[in-house]
Amino acid sequence: MHPAVVERWARGSSPLHQRDPRAKIIALLVFLIALATAGPGLPVFAGGLLVLLIAGLVCAGVPVWGVLVRAGIVLPFAAVLAGVTWLAGDPTRGAVVALKSYLSALAVLLVISTTGLPALLRGLEAMGAPRFLLQVAQFLYRYFFVIAEEARQMSRAAAARGASARHQKFGGQSFRAAAGALAVLFASSYARAEDIHRAMLARGFEGRFPLLGEMRFGRADLLFTILASLAPVALRFAVERTFA
Amino acid sequence: MHIPDGFLSTPVWATLDVAAAPAVLYLTRRAQHSLEENKVPLLGVLGAFVFAAQMINFPVGPGTTGHLVGGALLAFTLGPAPASIVMVAILAIQALVFQDGGVLALGANITNMAVMGVLAGYLPFHIWGATRWHKSALFAGGALSVLVSACLALAELLISGVRMPGSVLGVSLALFAVSAILEGAITLAVMQALERLHPKTARPLQPGRPPILAGVALLAVLLATVGVFFAAGGPDGIERLLNLHPASLRAGFWGQASAGVGGLLLIYGACLVIGRVARHRSL
Repeated sequence: MHPAVVERWARGSSPLHQRDPRAKIIALLVFLIALATAGPGLPVFAGGLLVLLIAGLVCAGVPVWGVLVRAGIVLPFAAVLAGVTWLAGDPTRGAVVALKSYLSALAVLLVISTTGLPALLRGLEAMGAPRFLLQVAQFLYRYFFVIAEEARQMSRAAAARGASARHQKFGGQSFRAAAGALAVLFASSYARAEDIHRAMLARGFEGRFPLLGEMRFGRADLLFTILASLAPVALRFAVERTFA
Repeated sequence: MHIPDGFLSTPVWATLDVAAAPAVLYLTRRAQHSLEENKVPLLGVLGAFVFAAQMINFPVGPGTTGHLVGGALLAFTLGPAPASIVMVAILAIQALVFQDGGVLALGANITNMAVMGVLAGYLPFHIWGATRWHKSALFAGGALSVLVSACLALAELLISGVRMPGSVLGVSLALFAVSAILEGAITLAVMQALERLHPKTARPLQPGRPPILAGVALLAVLLATVGVFFAAGGPDGIERLLNLHPASLRAGFWGQASAGVGGLLLIYGACLVIGRVARHRSL
């Protein structure tokens, strides 16, 4: 699935979309840590968390089925690990890993598809992450689509000239052709970066991006943070009480 | 090689998160100072390039293709600290938007790929990149960057208590070796093509590094990657000490933890002193 889909979902206006990114980051971290450190009664706890996440997805108005499928990206990795540990005589571990990694990916997806990466990075900056790093990440995300399209065009052009890597015998020549294509892409990216920098300076860039609309951590955000952090923790206490 | 959440045990991911945070802060500051002007767009766009470069396939064998990972290539062209920062940004976006690697495991992935991988990849270039074995330095850099990150990821899984049969371990090490050679070859080919396009792409280096430093550095990298697998067998120095003084086991968590941290600081101090002395001798 194309990553731009996530940005489209992030444009919604549900109560979850309106929360301050910092509130969602805190709630996400609490959720992930509660899940990662869970031991006894994991299947029941995981079921409860799944219900919680689906409720969140429904509330956010994003396509539930689409997100559930997309989070399955982690499952092939988990399946490989499950196979390996099963061979080593540790059959339950694979299931535990699959459950935890799937639910973690789902939680991250819920946050990103109700926030969008730019707002999330802005929230991280407000929480003290280094601004230089986050600006690099912002640029990377903005120009990923541009450069990726350029790469796609180049490989399409190469295929049109009959140079598809897949249908060719292994040989130094085709290997060098691919390396040349990458070098051209690198050089054009480099030149593009310099153009961008000059254009930014010309428009009066002073080292930070202006914000469209201030972030505000209001009373509703505080309430959300408390409730959303409390839910997984309380659920885990209840489950461990009954199973331990 | 991106570790998702749930694969590592809590002590492992928590430790690596705590370790990665100051490393990233330090590297951010260095990257900011090492570039002559505000080069945020350059780092961002080249990060996007590394991302997009995965769409260009390299023919490896009949019907199979590989692609560039890019840590070493960035280190050769931007320098180690900016390259690390770009890789950190890539890993963060992959974890948040693409579900490629976990959020809690981000510290582990950053340590493996953005910090250790990039620095190990830069090492050969730094040591003998300016000599006439320039090409071998480019190849070794690409290969080392992938090998180091892969071995670290595997070691973290093993420390987390994932049990693997010996045959699987052997197969994965063989796969690591193959992908390391592939990354080395791709990095070398792309760097050569770039040098034809722009003769001044690679970072300038002053020639004449002391060869003893090169030997020590390579030995350290080899020990850290391959040595781990040999060290697991017999009791090491600390375990032998514990057998001699079993009373120290009763010191409790804080006693043991402070003993461990103290030992680490001692070793770090010793390395620092030796490094200073070696540098003064060689200059």
